[in-house]
Amino acid sequence: MAAWGKRLAGVRGVLLDISGVLYDGGEDGGAPIRGSVEAVARLKQSRLKVRFCTNESQKSRQELVGLLRRQGFDISEGEVTAPAPATSLILKERGLRPHLLVHDGVRSEFGQIDTSNPNCVVIADAGEGFSYQNMNKAFRVLMELEKPVLISLGKGRYYKETSGLMLDVGAYMKALEYACGIEAEVVGKPSPEYFQSALKEMGVEAHEQAIMIGDDIVGDVGGAQRCGMRALQVRTGKFRPSDEQHPEVKADGYVDNLAEAVDLLLQHATK
Amino acid sequence: MAARRALKAVLVDLSGTLHIEDAAVPGAQEALKRLRSASVMVRFVTNTTKESKQDLLDRLKKLEFDISEDEIFTSLTAARNLVEQKQVRPMLLVDDRALPDFKGIQTSDPNAVVIGLAPEHFHYQILNQAFRLLLDGAALIAVHKARYYKRKDGLALGPGPFVTALEYATDTKATVVGKPEKTFFLEALRGTGCEPEEAVMIGDDCRDDVGGAQNVGMLGILVKTGKYRAADEEKINPPPYLTCESFPHAVDHILQHLL
Repeated sequence: MAAWGKRLAGVRGVLLDISGVLYDGGEDGGAPIRGSVEAVARLKQSRLKVRFCTNESQKSRQELVGLLRRQGFDISEGEVTAPAPATSLILKERGLRPHLLVHDGVRSEFGQIDTSNPNCVVIADAGEGFSYQNMNKAFRVLMELEKPVLISLGKGRYYKETSGLMLDVGAYMKALEYACGIEAEVVGKPSPEYFQSALKEMGVEAHEQAIMIGDDIVGDVGGAQRCGMRALQVRTGKFRPSDEQHPEVKADGYVDNLAEAVDLLLQHATK
Repeated sequence: MAARRALKAVLVDLSGTLHIEDAAVPGAQEALKRLRSASVMVRFVTNTTKESKQDLLDRLKKLEFDISEDEIFTSLTAARNLVEQKQVRPMLLVDDRALPDFKGIQTSDPNAVVIGLAPEHFHYQILNQAFRLLLDGAALIAVHKARYYKRKDGLALGPGPFVTALEYATDTKATVVGKPEKTFFLEALRGTGCEPEEAVMIGDDCRDDVGGAQNVGMLGILVKTGKYRAADEEKINPPPYLTCESFPHAVDHILQHLL
């Protein structure tokens, strides 16, 4: 593999995944990953542009940013690309009224949306909200629709919390797809539109200028690369050693954590 | 294709073939007696995930069928056999009423997951537990992968969607043991010592009973009772060896033409 200097040359903007890169969530709010608070601060002080690109869908942006700030992170709502607000826009544009299979914590992001007489189902990371009863309700809504529409906020397989790995929305999305014989639309990583909207907000081109840092080899790294960006895989969060031998995705670099990634970026990208 | 040998075993589906809910198919009890007078082994096979063999036996005895417990083979039996074969300790996500069929199987410190139709277990915490076991290398065994079933209050999700969820999350494939899987029929025949080419299956579900059996080398007889709908026999290729009115007709044919 080429030297870091070559691999990171020309980077002007950095997209940061949140869960597994900045912090690990948990019932008590979770905990920052070692070195990440300082790493974000250093990035912000540099000439590199920074934006947070997350699939977090259990909490509203306000809640998430509040939590991270309390942990010491320099982050504000306007710097975050999150799937719930993106989905709200899509629902409004298409005149869709959703049955929401979501965690209560994120309902506020859909506050302006008409949910009466639903003509689609929106599924997010509902966590404990993924009871058999709630899944069955969503299933029945879809089965009664002439044109069933299922919108999924991300399609991750699992993520890391302080207590261990947790089933993510993707698994439950697949369950409904199988039950109804349909295919979901995904809003969030790895959808290219999602990455592109984040890059647009940051004012940076994918090709040659942007780099994504994430813990999900397929959703973060693979997805970013397919948009023409470079991407680094961190060994924190949901990372498992087998990810370094993924049959389809080869990251532009593997680093222990965000702190190491930032060290390398500040050494090589800002020359 | 192997040449057909003399018929030695008959597999009979239960619900829809021998009985419809709590009523026997007319003439079925007597037809079973006639079948037994020939020298063939008989096995009763079903995809139930909620009823133990004892439950099934009780119902059949009430309907005056002459059947013994060791002649019944269910998808739960298939799951149990696989667990024993692989020598694993399963986390059992099955209906409480199915637990008797797993008596004697070690379930502490599980290294496998068995999933049947068990809505009361399909909530987040338990599925997450199963997920973590599977990620650590535990085997995933599905009793079957039905998408949904009919309840009195409407459609309800079957085990299939939840098996799919776990397969996706762990990037693995479940071993499905119920009809129409080949292993189901092979396992059902194992106790008889007969080869598939020496056996015939009688059932009302064209795809799961007849199609599944013929896929493994058996002859399949489709009966027009239970869930049968007109032209079902056109839905599989090759078509059923025989399509006839009901179980008694199937037995007549066997006695006249296959022995």
